[in-house]
Amino acid sequence: MNGESLIVFFITSLVLVGGAIVFSNYIAPKSFNKQKIEPYECGIPTTGISWLQFNVGYYLFAILFLIFDVETVFLFPWAVVMKQVGLVGMIEILIFFVILVFGLAYAWKKHALVWE
Amino acid sequence: MDIMFYIFSTIILVFSVLTVTSRKILRAATYLLFVLIATAGLYFLLNYQFIAAIQLTLYAGGIVVLIIFSILLTSHISQSFEPVGKLKTIASGLASVAGALLTLTVLLEHEFTASTKPPVDVNMESIGLSLLSYERDGFVLPFEVISVLLLAAMIGAIVIAKKSEEKVTNQENNKSL
Repeated sequence: MNGESLIVFFITSLVLVGGAIVFSNYIAPKSFNKQKIEPYECGIPTTGISWLQFNVGYYLFAILFLIFDVETVFLFPWAVVMKQVGLVGMIEILIFFVILVFGLAYAWKKHALVWE
Repeated sequence: MDIMFYIFSTIILVFSVLTVTSRKILRAATYLLFVLIATAGLYFLLNYQFIAAIQLTLYAGGIVVLIIFSILLTSHISQSFEPVGKLKTIASGLASVAGALLTLTVLLEHEFTASTKPPVDVNMESIGLSLLSYERDGFVLPFEVISVLLLAAMIGAIVIAKKSEEKVTNQENNKSL
């Protein structure tokens, strides 16, 4: 892929998507109503802002996800050469794996995986 | 190819400036996401597919989510920062200009010569082979140590985020008393 085709692709997608938005903006029938701005048509009116303080559980799940994300990144190069390195690579990756499984076991024991 | 480099650099520069100047912290995190994605684009330009994929999955997909969750953990999220005073703006501007000048002088003084070594194709296969090799120039020990580092990070995060059982029950007992 060279630069020119990327630019053509970029401009085409910009024109297509932008054109669709602009076009529909001009031809669509429009009406204004105060109720249209509200998030719900009926029910209790919302108060305050939607930015609330989150549960710490989200953070825990995010960091656990990130750590196993890093693990998968290291699994990819191994997977490509798996047949080439054979048993030695298998043992190396198993050590890597087992050490991280300790972490998962710790998380499990500390009830970090339980949603409160 | 040059024009793509300029496009990505412009995106990185514009969103970096927006990240540090935005008064709303959640918006700053979103601008940071764009900076990280454009950096992945630069890696793709250099034909470093592996690094680019890591940049996208780890930084854009993982770290930014973590940053946003950490922001949402704090109270007073919606409150935007107070605008900084003039003196602070001038001082930080001077400091950044001094840093840029220092970097520029070092860069310009150093003579960059092209390497005489033949170019090495950095593909997934060579990364995998050198990562698992235990011979000379192999990286198997750092590779295994990484797992220990990740384990330490995981345990540390759990210890900090999770209150110990006894403490929780103690607090509940105190409340009931």
